[in-house]
Amino acid sequence: MAAAIDTGLEFYRQVLALRAYRQEILSADIANASTPGFKAVDLDFAEALNSAVSRRPGSDAPASPKRIWLVDDSRQMGSGAVGGAADVASQSIKYQTGSEVTLDGNSVDLDHEKVTAAENAVQYEAATTFASQMVRMMMIAITGSASQQSSGG
Amino acid sequence: MSLLASLSIAGSGMSAESERLSAIASNIANANSQVGGNGQEYRAREVVFQAASVYGDDGDGASVGTDGVKVAGIVESDAPTHSVYDPTSTFADANGYVQMPNVNPVDEMVNMISAQQDYQANLEAFNVVKTLALRTLTI
Repeated sequence: MAAAIDTGLEFYRQVLALRAYRQEILSADIANASTPGFKAVDLDFAEALNSAVSRRPGSDAPASPKRIWLVDDSRQMGSGAVGGAADVASQSIKYQTGSEVTLDGNSVDLDHEKVTAAENAVQYEAATTFASQMVRMMMIAITGSASQQSSGG
Repeated sequence: MSLLASLSIAGSGMSAESERLSAIASNIANANSQVGGNGQEYRAREVVFQAASVYGDDGDGASVGTDGVKVAGIVESDAPTHSVYDPTSTFADANGYVQMPNVNPVDEMVNMISAQQDYQANLEAFNVVKTLALRTLTI
């Protein structure tokens, strides 16, 4: 039963890690809006989340991040730092298509990036809200009342 | 640490864009200079951007698709300078001509607007990520 208490939270941990990763990618696109030859990329969130959840601990692939890193582990500073989610997610990064490519080979559409980043931010905030509701539910189950919950939420 | 990396990426964008704005300001300021800092005629400068990991040259720790930006170098325009007859100038040649800079004010203004928009976009991205990071603390 030890796993049951964080089952829901584990899902939101993945969602938040992937949303943060996507925000990072969009920031990179915006930062490179004037870099010659830079091609805009984006994270296919649905696909990334699917592969992140399907690689649960207990399945054949050991997807769960190492809880304790050795100092000489080359992956210590790697993308495993976000809990392995970005490892899997890097396969869901795709080039953006359909935007105009400038003469210097740049395909970043600044307006599109801004809109996508704003949407992603809202989704991220939604996920944090759901996560904290999850914690509140757990606290209600533990304490047996919602009234003592004001400080936790 | 994706969120904090996003802050560095947006920051790299802002510093690169402000370097671009510096070059533009320098060009506009020197649009009428008869001589540049190196004793030759002043030539319009432009910064060249390059995608680069915010984690340094080896890119250790960077996730795929998350490069920041850096200034790869500054190039001088090779557009022709124009000669102006000004025999009283200290910098006039034997025939009384001075070489005026090849700065094109229209180019500079357009470039400046573009740089300003890019800077603002980076600033927006930075603020959004900051909000998200603070929001995460309230879970």
